[in-house]
Amino acid sequence: MGGQREKDEGDAALLRAVAAGDPAAMGTLYDRHAGWLHARLTRRCADPEVVREVLQDTFVTVWRSAGAHRGEEAGGWLWTIAARRLIDARRAQERSGRLETTPIDTTRTGTGTTPSAPSAEERVLAGLEYGDVGTALDRISPELREVLRATVVDGLTTRETARLLGIPEGTVKTRARRARAELRAALAQLAPSPMGGPA
Amino acid sequence: MTGWHAPETLIARYADGSLPDADAWSLEKHLESCTSCAGRVSGAVRATSAGTVLADVRDAVLAAAAPAPAEAAPQDLRDAVLAAATPAPPEAPPLRTPRLLWAAAPAVRGAWLPAVLLVVLSAVLLAHVAGFSGARPLLLAVAPVVPVAGVALSYGRHADPLHELAASTPSAGLRLVLTRTAVVLAVSLPLLTLAGLVLPSPGAPGAVAWLLPGLTLTLAALALGGWLGLRTATAVTGGGWLCAVLAPALASPDGAVARHLSDQLSAYVGGAATQGGWAAAAALCALLVAARRTAYDRLERF
Repeated sequence: MGGQREKDEGDAALLRAVAAGDPAAMGTLYDRHAGWLHARLTRRCADPEVVREVLQDTFVTVWRSAGAHRGEEAGGWLWTIAARRLIDARRAQERSGRLETTPIDTTRTGTGTTPSAPSAEERVLAGLEYGDVGTALDRISPELREVLRATVVDGLTTRETARLLGIPEGTVKTRARRARAELRAALAQLAPSPMGGPA
Repeated sequence: MTGWHAPETLIARYADGSLPDADAWSLEKHLESCTSCAGRVSGAVRATSAGTVLADVRDAVLAAAAPAPAEAAPQDLRDAVLAAATPAPPEAPPLRTPRLLWAAAPAVRGAWLPAVLLVVLSAVLLAHVAGFSGARPLLLAVAPVVPVAGVALSYGRHADPLHELAASTPSAGLRLVLTRTAVVLAVSLPLLTLAGLVLPSPGAPGAVAWLLPGLTLTLAALALGGWLGLRTATAVTGGGWLCAVLAPALASPDGAVARHLSDQLSAYVGGAATQGGWAAAAALCALLVAARRTAYDRLERF
């Protein structure tokens, strides 16, 4: 126990050790997953202080409830916890009025920057070459893309997405529908057969 | 496991935040299941400006982790297994009494308790002030439904403002439902039985005749609750009982409601054979509840 762990020690074994109260296993787990969780959170939340709090909450939660891990992919499990923590943080923020802008009114402009992605990133993207899906995604508005990401990539429910983005549930549903329609249209425009080559 | 691993350029651009959404999304999905790529991306992120934050948070997390296991360090394998099975928060457990109160409180909160008192009081008043001879049959007819209603009002989103918190605790589900049912019974059994004892009624069954039917209906509501949800189940059992007892008496043509009610009740709850039947039904319902105990973890879907 403790000390130097093998590099390829399985996540499941690590989580069992964490559940048994082994801080060294916690350290290993943190080093393996905290970095990508931080990057993923940063892409979804522009406030570095919130990202930091959520990351810390996530791992403290893992420390307390590793015993509840049911053997699914550890990475997916960690992200589930982190996404829930991020939603909670957004709600707390809204309650204390710290959230300066909500994306509700930026839909009409269609050019508003995504609150969860820095505008610098958008500028970088504009000069890059990427595949059809990327091009299609880039054509739909940041608000729609944000809804797609929360529901499709992060696997959140409509309700959770609404909390995360600070918009009503009805708006989430409308935007998800529109995002799919626009994505389909954009793909059809790029190539007659959207199932063409890999992106 | 496809054997695919993220190329270095992809990882570097993800770490510095310059990767377009479509590529970032597929990498993020991959990281959820690929430990080795997760480790590589985390290493790359540590090398960026986020490295200091990551190191700070690491210290904070390990500081939060360190003291608890120092005290509760597993002495042997059995302790370790127990610790793994019960992910208790490292802080000291709260006192027993407030926890019990918290568990029981919604059971006796709100309109239910006044309703029980109202039933008891009006029965006593009817008998002694208005001289209504059918007071005890009426009380016995209503009494079995009282705990059933209490159960419906004691668990779930509609009954308990703390429900979301309660539902996420290890004691949620059947354990909490049973705790609250026990509180409901502890309040309603003595009150209703005492009231029945002070009511004069020569023809009606004894004051304690309602106890077994009441218990059976409560257990039936719990058992049905596993399928229908507590509220629907209590409406079915409580409503069913009221219909069975009151409808024939009220529908009687000669208007002697009290006497018919008395007869009806004698048929339903009087006599050893009938009470034996109720007891058997209660045992059956209890068995059903025990057999389907996991269903109560998902009561909120209803």
